Amino acid sequence: MPRSSEPDGIGYWAGVSPAIVLCIWELAGRLGWTNPILLPNPTQIVAALAALVASGGILTPLVHTVGLFVVGFTLAAVIGTGIGIAMATSRRLYGLLEPLVEMLRPIPKPALVPVLFLFLGIGKATMIALVVLAGMFPVLISTYQGVRGLDPVLLETARTFQISRSRMIASIILPASLPMILAGMRVALGLGLVLVILAEMLAAQEGIGFRILDLERSFQIRDMFAWIVVLVLLGAAMMKVFDVAERNLVPWRGRS
Amino acid sequence: MSAVDRLNVSDRERSEPRSSREWLGGRASGVLLIVALLSLWELSSRLGWVVSAYWPPVSQILAAAFAQLMGGEILLSLAATMRRAAIGYAAASAAGIVLGIVLARSRLLRCGLLPLIEIVRPMPTPAIIPPLILFLGVDDALKIFIVALASFFPIFTTTYAGVAAVDDTLIQTARTFRTSWARTLYAVVLPAVVPAIAAGLRTATGLCIVVAVLSEMIAGSSGIGYYLIETQYAMRPDLMYAAVLYLALTGYALNRVFLAIEMRAIPWMGKS
Repeated sequence: MPRSSEPDGIGYWAGVSPAIVLCIWELAGRLGWTNPILLPNPTQIVAALAALVASGGILTPLVHTVGLFVVGFTLAAVIGTGIGIAMATSRRLYGLLEPLVEMLRPIPKPALVPVLFLFLGIGKATMIALVVLAGMFPVLISTYQGVRGLDPVLLETARTFQISRSRMIASIILPASLPMILAGMRVALGLGLVLVILAEMLAAQEGIGFRILDLERSFQIRDMFAWIVVLVLLGAAMMKVFDVAERNLVPWRGRS
Repeated sequence: MSAVDRLNVSDRERSEPRSSREWLGGRASGVLLIVALLSLWELSSRLGWVVSAYWPPVSQILAAAFAQLMGGEILLSLAATMRRAAIGYAAASAAGIVLGIVLARSRLLRCGLLPLIEIVRPMPTPAIIPPLILFLGVDDALKIFIVALASFFPIFTTTYAGVAAVDDTLIQTARTFRTSWARTLYAVVLPAVVPAIAAGLRTATGLCIVVAVLSEMIAGSSGIGYYLIETQYAMRPDLMYAAVLYLALTGYALNRVFLAIEMRAIPWMGKS
């Protein structure tokens, strides 16, 4: 699989086609080809977004969504990595946990939203639990694969030097399987964001998801689009942060 | 996307035949754990350790699930959901494979379309639903479109990456023999990228159910997603858990079927 840094021959052209689409959209709006109530012009959306930022109203929902997501994602990453390593290094734990993991994994995670709402009540804890449930399985499985796929010579060498189990995990297994762990976390990142937004739409009184659905229902379409832009930027920013972190943590990635 | 790739490899390994004794031998403790957890659940509800209307005993859930087999709402809702998921999936497969191949081979189209695809990709699916309600309503068109859109990305990405990674020597060789464009595509490029396409298709099979369910939750009037929300409000946890059970079974079965087809149809997968 080609690395993301591989040139795809686009370069500066990347901005051209989005610009053309935006121009056509704007023109269509100005010329009255589109229904201005259903589909506001890009300039109107940008104006709504600017107003949102200027008034400071952007802050509370953004903090709500990002907060839920970050807490849930961190927990999912830690739990997923922990169980993944445990299952990969201990035959007994593997036997104990594998059937349970295989049982829970195929459940489409959105189906758990109403279940957890009934179960844990509607609240932040529930939404965080959803992100954890959605995010931990990709991390867990990817970690497990990563550790199992390690060069046996590496582990044998460590064993020859009689390194303790905890030291072996901390200084050999964890760094060596980091690329795979991060790959799992990347999948979890996208899933986690989907679950946060869904949970907010279905039950929260705050947050970006709540805002988008609420504004649609009260027919404030411009503001709704402004919030969608915020969300897209947020998603792209998180991916970017993740890319940078990955490049710093595993600079050798994709070279082996 | 490499995570997705590796997962596939692993699942293939896991699905390879093995003796049932070996399987149970390693996992006996795990099966026991599940039985213990379920018994604890049953007991806690029966003996009133957890006094809650939302905590029905397992046996009651299984009874509800079983009763649904004799013609119940759950299976009908599930069928409606699966129909939407299947149509969206088919559309996404066609679009994803064709665009993946075309964009990888043509620089002009790549410059035009790839940036647009990259803009839409990071958008969390639930966020696209409210604006689309305005244009497509809340019926089938909306849900099928959302399923297709969400399933498109993994299929497109793996196909695109797969074609881009095809050994250039193969194509140069074909050119040396003056093989026609169409024949090169059919006889050289396609077999080489089929494993990549299959990987994307598999990711999308799980995704299409997820997205169909969540779209029914947000903009529902029918389907299993709507049913879940309905039973939540109606305080019928037994039916709700039964619906989740059926969904999980469906997801599991689909994955298995896909693996079986993959192994038969693409025996060279994961071996290069």
